[in-house]
Amino acid sequence: MKRAALALLLLAAPAFGAESLTSGLSQDSVEITSNYNGTDIIVFGAIEEPGEGKIGDVVVIVRGPDTLMTVRRKDRIAGIWMNDARARVVVPSYYFVSATKPLAEIASRDTLSRYEVGISHLHADPEASDGDPGPYVAALVRAQARSGLYRESPSGVEWMSRTLFRARVPVPASVPPGSYNVEVYLFHQGDVVSAQSWPLYIDQTGFERRLFDFAGSSPLLYGVSTVLMAVLLGWGSTFFFRRRA
Amino acid sequence: MEIYLPIAQMSVHWLAILAMGFAVGFLSGVFGIGGGFLLTPLLIFYGIPPGVAVATTASQVSGVTFSGVLAHWKRRTVDFKMGGVMMVAGLFGTAFGVWLFSVFRRMGQAEFAVSSSYVVLLGTVGGIMLNESVRTWRAQRRGQSASLRRSGQHNWIHGLPLKMRFRQSRLYISAIPPVVLGFAVGIFSGLLGVGGAFIMVPVMIYLLRMPTNVVVGTSLFQVLFVTAVATILHAVDNHTVDIVLALILILGGVFGVQYGVRAGAKLRGEQLRFLLALLVLAVAARLFYEMAMRPADLYSLSSGAP
Repeated sequence: MKRAALALLLLAAPAFGAESLTSGLSQDSVEITSNYNGTDIIVFGAIEEPGEGKIGDVVVIVRGPDTLMTVRRKDRIAGIWMNDARARVVVPSYYFVSATKPLAEIASRDTLSRYEVGISHLHADPEASDGDPGPYVAALVRAQARSGLYRESPSGVEWMSRTLFRARVPVPASVPPGSYNVEVYLFHQGDVVSAQSWPLYIDQTGFERRLFDFAGSSPLLYGVSTVLMAVLLGWGSTFFFRRRA
Repeated sequence: MEIYLPIAQMSVHWLAILAMGFAVGFLSGVFGIGGGFLLTPLLIFYGIPPGVAVATTASQVSGVTFSGVLAHWKRRTVDFKMGGVMMVAGLFGTAFGVWLFSVFRRMGQAEFAVSSSYVVLLGTVGGIMLNESVRTWRAQRRGQSASLRRSGQHNWIHGLPLKMRFRQSRLYISAIPPVVLGFAVGIFSGLLGVGGAFIMVPVMIYLLRMPTNVVVGTSLFQVLFVTAVATILHAVDNHTVDIVLALILILGGVFGVQYGVRAGAKLRGEQLRFLLALLVLAVAARLFYEMAMRPADLYSLSSGAP
């Protein structure tokens, strides 16, 4: 639904006329290699505006692929804390939002919610085993924020000049691989007047990728290889120590 | 330096992992155990997902025990017949344990199953060992030689049917106790990633009355096969074996073992058992404390439907 709204908006954008947006990414893919420890990508762009009027507000959103998450709540049962109730939620595995000023000052709640701007406006659509999904969603956001996967950076979009902007998007080490989407919105007086969206691919490469594929495609051979490697290392070490002893 | 684990999908400090492998390897060299019961909780504590920790520990244990099995084989201190009987039962037990683990995982109780099994298992074994080592110690101080009951004396085990002759162990006993023991240890291997030597060794000595010199070699033989199978089954069923994590752990482990064996040779048997008992009880107490205390965050997150 949201995608459709975005597409419609992109079609309709020229009709707004006054202001429009051009943007780009510093890189269109992030490669997770053996020493990957997180990186930053830069989203930059310019506002094209005919007159000398006031420039709108820019919002940059990066979304990871949607995944099904299970949130469990521990309860005290016979003196032991164990998982009891649970909720299932479909949410983006990564979400970053940044803007030129606090989101609440940019647009109304309804508008922000329509475009899913802001962590609190994500359409999580949760289903909880004990009724109220509220606390589960809050816990999910808390946990994702702790691991750096959900982040709100209220004034992270910097103006480089009157019409040039730039935002730094942190891609932490724990980021799940997949097909990401970078959305850049230009708001004017509480409404989206222009928008652009870019794909961003985050993927394991090289040796890691081959291992991951191997483990998934022929798990039996992978398991046997792991054991063989273990046994060979164990065997090899005895030679190493015999020579030194 | 950080290294990315392809299956756990997280990056870790490889030196920290290497040190963990070394430390656990050292202790396993000192005490003649696989060390899985220490490694799994350590990895979980470091932040490795429980599934990956259990499955990868199994592969580490098989790597670390292999050199031990070789050494005992050369000294002819492996009872292959006894080991073989326990191994076959152990493979069925392991398959059952791996299946049980995936059931608990789907129920969202993997963490509880692992922790509570550990507490019960380690608490019991640690308690028995502590009691036994203290008694031996006291007996020695009073000037008596500790009188372990020797083979030849009969207990209820000798009344069971299906007798088999185990030449290496100089035993003629029913096949049922080794089968039950092998199966039970296999379940723990599949469920917890441990080899189970710390359960097997006391049972072999005190219940089966095997001669002490073949006990360690035979239990290592059984552990090697059971953990190897556990690794393969986890790789197939749960896709949770991380080969990069295993590589670093084994590298640390095999060196740790060599130094541990040298350090262990300087300690006496009951001192070793006393120290091991304290270690086992400490791990059990720590896990129990975590289960009994209110967690910092009542909510936990896992991706996917399980």
